[in-house]
Amino acid sequence: MAIVTVNNVSRIYHQGKTEFKALDDVSLTINKGEFTALAGPSGSGKTTLLNLIGGIDTADKGTILLDGQDLSSLKKGELADLRLQDIGFVFQSFNLIPVLTAAENVEYILRLQKIPSSIRRQKVKAILADVGLADKADQRPSELSGGQQQRIAVARAVVASPAIVLADEPTANLDSVTGQKLLDLMQQMNTDKQVTFVFATHDKMVMDYARRVITLKDGRIADDIRK
Amino acid sequence: MGDMILAWRNVWRNPRRSLLTILAIVFAAVLLVFMLSFQFGSYEDMINATVRQSTGHLQVQSPGYHDRQEMHLVVADAQHLVAEIEPINGVSNVALRSEAFALMSGEKRSRGTTIFGIQPEKEKKVTTLPRQIKQGRYLQKGDHGVALIGSLLAKRLQLTIGDECTMLGQGKDGSIAAALFTIIGIYTTGVDAVDRATVHITFADFNHIFFMEKAAHRVIITAEHLADITPITQALQSNPAFRSLTILTWDKLAPGLRQSMELDLISGIIMYIILVVVVAFSVLNTFFMAFFERTREFGVLLSIGARPARLVRMILTESMLLTFTGIALGTLIGIGLTVYFSHQGISFGDGGELLAQYGFEDRFYPRLSWMSACLGPALLLIITFFTALIPALKVPDLKPVDALRSC
Amino acid sequence: MYIILAWRNLWRNRRRTLIILTAVIIGISSMIVMAAFSRGTVQGMVSNSINNLVGHIKIEHQQHPADPAIEHRIITPEKLLRQITAMLPPGSRVVQRIRADAMLSTSREHVGLVLVGIDPDLEQGVSFIGRPPAQGTLFGNQNQGGIIVGRSLLKKINGKLGQKVVITCQGADGTNIAKAFRIQGVFATELESTERAFAFVQLHTMQQMLGVGNDITEIAIQLPDNNGNPPVDLAATTAFLQANVSDKQLLARNWRQMLPAISSYLEMFDGFMLIWYLIVFLAMAFGLVNTMLMAVYERMREFGLLQALGMRPGCIIKMVMSELLLLLTFGCSISSVAAFITVHFFFSSGIDLAIFAEGAEFWGISRIIYPLLTSWDIIAANSVVLLLGMFTGLYPALRATKFSPVQTMRHV
Repeated sequence: MAIVTVNNVSRIYHQGKTEFKALDDVSLTINKGEFTALAGPSGSGKTTLLNLIGGIDTADKGTILLDGQDLSSLKKGELADLRLQDIGFVFQSFNLIPVLTAAENVEYILRLQKIPSSIRRQKVKAILADVGLADKADQRPSELSGGQQQRIAVARAVVASPAIVLADEPTANLDSVTGQKLLDLMQQMNTDKQVTFVFATHDKMVMDYARRVITLKDGRIADDIRK
Repeated sequence: MGDMILAWRNVWRNPRRSLLTILAIVFAAVLLVFMLSFQFGSYEDMINATVRQSTGHLQVQSPGYHDRQEMHLVVADAQHLVAEIEPINGVSNVALRSEAFALMSGEKRSRGTTIFGIQPEKEKKVTTLPRQIKQGRYLQKGDHGVALIGSLLAKRLQLTIGDECTMLGQGKDGSIAAALFTIIGIYTTGVDAVDRATVHITFADFNHIFFMEKAAHRVIITAEHLADITPITQALQSNPAFRSLTILTWDKLAPGLRQSMELDLISGIIMYIILVVVVAFSVLNTFFMAFFERTREFGVLLSIGARPARLVRMILTESMLLTFTGIALGTLIGIGLTVYFSHQGISFGDGGELLAQYGFEDRFYPRLSWMSACLGPALLLIITFFTALIPALKVPDLKPVDALRSC
Repeated sequence: MYIILAWRNLWRNRRRTLIILTAVIIGISSMIVMAAFSRGTVQGMVSNSINNLVGHIKIEHQQHPADPAIEHRIITPEKLLRQITAMLPPGSRVVQRIRADAMLSTSREHVGLVLVGIDPDLEQGVSFIGRPPAQGTLFGNQNQGGIIVGRSLLKKINGKLGQKVVITCQGADGTNIAKAFRIQGVFATELESTERAFAFVQLHTMQQMLGVGNDITEIAIQLPDNNGNPPVDLAATTAFLQANVSDKQLLARNWRQMLPAISSYLEMFDGFMLIWYLIVFLAMAFGLVNTMLMAVYERMREFGLLQALGMRPGCIIKMVMSELLLLLTFGCSISSVAAFITVHFFFSSGIDLAIFAEGAEFWGISRIIYPLLTSWDIIAANSVVLLLGMFTGLYPALRATKFSPVQTMRHV
């Protein structure tokens, strides 16, 4: 079942008078339960594609359907709600709100969804246990290691059971052992809870973990390999 | 973890900056509360000073008398009216007074003066005159053929206690009014015009000499409190006995006083607005910083699905928490300061002489009221709120992608 | 070199610099504009009082101020007048007057006032009565029976131009004299109380009426005008006159002695203005410290690096302070120009306090206030901000020297 359908999408950036085609007529489909990496050198358009799928950037041409809904037809507020309900994000770094504790960071998204506090607490407790940080619940991000911070970010991304989790270079600031642990965690989420993951990365390790690797080059799909 | 707590924690992310911002607001709030209390206090002093010196809170007069003090414009049957007024709630004193112009002569010299006919006991409550007698004594009930005169007039006419003087004027009916008086008291009020050209005699003598037929020029009413003036006015207006008469309140009796207070208040408020605007710009940078240094964070929040309106609310809450803390602290300190000085009083040193010329005391007492405690902080709150809106309203323009890219 | 660097650093964050600059500019220019209005108000008060038959210096019989009776007069003043004129700087005006308490009566009204005998030609530019009357005419030398009364007095007695009134006063021999005059002119002044207090007749007429020959009661001196302030030293001139007039019965006083209340207010005025400057400065000081702190913290790495490269702390302090100095100097210059423009172009015709006329009268100030911009106010406001403002920079500057390279690299 297709969760994301990208049809002939182009995205052009203007810098002064020069045009830069970040994406050039890209089409692809991502199905439920995939664990997919968008690969390519920097400037190849992988982050742009990820942002477009996540509804935080808009395409100049073409359509993107998320869960069957055309993103370009949505207003700002509706897009925000869509992101809240259907998409989880994990960024490279500075993912967390520094003034909130680990648990509060995860809980924040549930608060945005207006979920009653008793249910919130249960869900947060469960997910923190899943990412193995139940004992760090009351610590602030600055008191956690980089790897722990990213695990909390993953917990926040999956806690509301989104249709898809988008991760932009989640391992870039981590050493290889920590990075591996993080990928193990996400893989486990993928197999245990059927969470769909899409990465934008140029980390070899992430590509090894991925079951499908889409390689972008100069804004076009150069390769699409399913393992 | 309510939004309030989140905002509060954000405020203290940069304690030094927040503290300085709060201090700026505290400073403004203290100043505004204190200065407004001071101004309002001095206005009350001014009203009371004027009311006590001459006008009373309310007066009943014959129509037209206020504009042209002509002898024949009288309140007839004044004693009967006093009986009507005295039982009204909030009335503390009712005094009758008449005025005439007459030539006062000593042995060699003479001068035109204003003669006041007063009821000594009742007048005591409307005027500070009894305390300003420098020689001799004040008038008493039953006195006859005696007069109090101003110190400069006494000097001018070369008169002293026990001397006789003659008075020559015109009665209510236009006939010649003449009488002989013995000086029993000399007063110095500090107001030259009063000390130079006024004489006080008893109401009964005045009535007799100027053929007043028991009429008076002014019925002077003193109220318990300023707030009693309106109900008293209404009570008088509904009483048929007063239908053909004019009822004047202190602000009509001394219009300059009211306007001078308004003028003072307005120039004060202009100064306060300038001050608050300067403070607002001083803190605007803090509000902006709280926004710009966290652009990436807002990008993350927008990405995970927070609506822009929520972030606007969050930023505004942070700015207003800062402001509230400052205003609350400042108002408390301002109130404390005001209460302290409302007992101590503030001396004006050399300025006392100037104040005396306007008939005030040389010490000022700030007076705390709801108005003086709230007006300044409210002004501060409103202007700071609009200042806080400037950065906050930039959030909806923020694109998540751009925000994420900034660091 | 420091200045160029400081200038570029200032504009690295344009918004922040502009915001604090706005605070500084609003602050300083309102300091100066408010000062100009206050000073204009006071100046109006002073010149109203001086015009109110006071003059810069007045010479009277020494008993006259305390007891203004006709027997305390200046006998045969011709020689004295010549003597005084010779002692004064060129451009000074000298007028003689005679005044007495009097009663003005109509058929139904009696009013007490001060009757002043004047030479109308000499009064021009010395007192308010020298101005053209509001109605009617000033009397020429021929008209012996004309009187000029104030607008408010006329209203009070319900009189009109041309009406006859009777003046009663005491002559030099102590007898009461009554004489009829025709209202020939009406004067209007800033202050209603003045309009009720005085009435004017011909000097000669009054001298004849009182039977005093050529005697007068006062000599008023107007010193050459210089923007409201006489260029000559008022106190010294007064003392000189007092020491040199031949008649030792006479007393010379200047307006500061005659109007002690206004005089002491004037002395306090500069102090009031300084307090106002300080308050506004404090309001912006918090913003200044905060902005400089932000500028310094933002460049933590840079300062750390400069120290690592061997820059001395003194140089870093100099760097930060020159940025602040530049900011303040820039703000001060713009504000002074803005204040100047505001006063000279927007308020050149003054502010009309017509709706508060009686309130203005209460304080003895004019209905129309003309702002008066003085160099003292501009210099004082700018100095307060510049000097004290530099102190606010010390804390951020010292902070900047405390950043060590190792520490700062960990941030960001």
